Amino acid sequence: MWDAILQAFGLVFDPYVLWVCLAAAAFGMFVGAMPGLTATMATALLVPVTFFMDPVPAIGAIVTATAMAIFAGDIPAAMMRIPGTPASAAYTDESYLMSRKGLLDLALGANLVFSAVGGLFGVAILIIAAPMLAEVALNFSSFEYFWLAGLGLTCATFIAQSDPLKGFVSLLIGLAIATIGIDPAAGHPRFTFGSVEMLQGISFIPAMIGLFAISELLRGVVTVGQAGEVLVQQVGNVFRGLGSVWRRYWRNFFRGSLIGTGIGALPGAGADIAAWISYAVSKRCSKEPEKYGTGHLEGIVDATSANNSAVAAAWIPALVFGIPGDSITAIVIGVLYMKNMNPGPSVFLQNPQLIYAVFIIFVLANLMMLPIGWTAIKLAKQTLRTPRNILLPIILLFCIVGAYAMTNSIYGIIIMLSLGIFGWLLEENGFPVGPVILGMVLGELFEQSFMTSMIKADGSLLGFFSRPIAGTLGVLTLALWAYMLTRNLWRREPATQG
Amino acid sequence: MRTNDAISGLILIVASTIMIYLTLDFPDFPGQKYGPSLFPRILGTALILCGAILIVRGLSARRAGVPWVTLADWTGDPRRLASFLMLPVLVLVYILVSEPIGFIPVAFAMLLFLFIWFGTRVVVAVPVAAIATWVMYWFFAVMMRVPLPRGILNNVL
Repeated sequence: MWDAILQAFGLVFDPYVLWVCLAAAAFGMFVGAMPGLTATMATALLVPVTFFMDPVPAIGAIVTATAMAIFAGDIPAAMMRIPGTPASAAYTDESYLMSRKGLLDLALGANLVFSAVGGLFGVAILIIAAPMLAEVALNFSSFEYFWLAGLGLTCATFIAQSDPLKGFVSLLIGLAIATIGIDPAAGHPRFTFGSVEMLQGISFIPAMIGLFAISELLRGVVTVGQAGEVLVQQVGNVFRGLGSVWRRYWRNFFRGSLIGTGIGALPGAGADIAAWISYAVSKRCSKEPEKYGTGHLEGIVDATSANNSAVAAAWIPALVFGIPGDSITAIVIGVLYMKNMNPGPSVFLQNPQLIYAVFIIFVLANLMMLPIGWTAIKLAKQTLRTPRNILLPIILLFCIVGAYAMTNSIYGIIIMLSLGIFGWLLEENGFPVGPVILGMVLGELFEQSFMTSMIKADGSLLGFFSRPIAGTLGVLTLALWAYMLTRNLWRREPATQG
Repeated sequence: MRTNDAISGLILIVASTIMIYLTLDFPDFPGQKYGPSLFPRILGTALILCGAILIVRGLSARRAGVPWVTLADWTGDPRRLASFLMLPVLVLVYILVSEPIGFIPVAFAMLLFLFIWFGTRVVVAVPVAAIATWVMYWFFAVMMRVPLPRGILNNVL
């Protein structure tokens, strides 16, 4: 083990890797701070660049960029009342009202420090939990994997979405897209319409660039001229007064990080949901709930710790089972597959140094967040003025080239464009795109474990419950379904968007 | 553009039916009752069920006064509508002409056009478009060896 850890340090503390991480950090800060560009989009734009790198710098770039982007989303929230990423939406009003009261420094400082420490909390849980779970997961057979994927997909649709039916439809669409190409069990080409390029399936990265970046651009392009007003206020010493904040709200920090870690580790629910839920919990448990919504720091501490701890925790199911915790890790899993590093418990045995390298990079990223975040805050006034009418066309061209580079042909651009328009239509009609990506990533594992299990059990569905862990997971999955079906599916009007 | 759930449901049902129809000629595993068609058929059936529920939901919403199609307010503004349509159209143009003409001229023209359309001044737009095109070409074609189409510049580069 110590061998692997030493090797991991060697892999990470390579000048090239560190340089890549630093560049990715700056990129993540910028994308996260720009309203309308999300952390998922940062990942989508990074993938074509990291595609050509070794696994460690490639993963390092994604880890650093996403961790930074989730914090950076807090900056425009406090300065412009526009969340930089959806993960900051829960407390955007709260931090903006703080700035209006003249507490901009304190709001940004608390966001920065609690983001970093919350992130470290999530990483600590990741480091403790992942190897332990991997040990258990080594004994899993296709039945367990089937139910794990099933449970993950269930969580993704039901827990995470405001309208479970539409979330479920998105998921099925994703799974259906994943069936295009050569089928995993028999090798028969499906839905390829005679196209040679479609034999390998819908290329994952162009699809993802379309779903997350092009659809975002389509939404952004109609509001190009309407930038928000930057609150003109001098940023002073953002670290002043944080000591007393810690003494007063350390319980909120631990509660927020714990909730964030739990929700992040659940497949399908990511940083944004973690922030909403921990904010709500914080308000319910507070001694002074009447102050919430007037520029009160307490809820921000909970929520900003929660969303950053969720980023790390989402990697637990991703690394151990190959089941993504959120849309970012869904993309990461796609990247790992392309690098022939199929996530799952066997990576912990065969390539432990890569797993430790991911851990080290996570710690490093959250430590780097303090100086880089501080710089980002100081530069925010200039950065937030970056004209969107220059940014959007450049991102569009970058998407085109990135999609092309993945297939070295026009095919990538065609996939990107089709899924971009499709993703835009889905979101416009209240169908979330996150589950589509989850379905596309999990489709093959889900189908393969299903078919293998069917053959092993000789078509008997009881076989799916014959092993203890599989049985438990199966009952859990079915119970969730029964509960949600009776409670939610027939509801006429979906709840307000969360 | 928000369509009534009944329309989304109908589209889902039609698409899933086509998907299931396409699975009819998939072969089975030798000696097994099921083959590559099983999983897509399960998905298709589930989608049809969801589509049916969406139709029920959409129809009751329709009775409550929700229109079949609601257009977003920006569609009333011809300029913003044009901006919106321009994105997919430009990508389509890129798909069609990038091979014969080449990445550099097409990318430069595209950027320049979009910059000016979104109101950037020409003095700014020309250098920014040139630099952005060059950086992207340098990174992908020179550093990463992606065969970006050379087109008319084939002999120059």
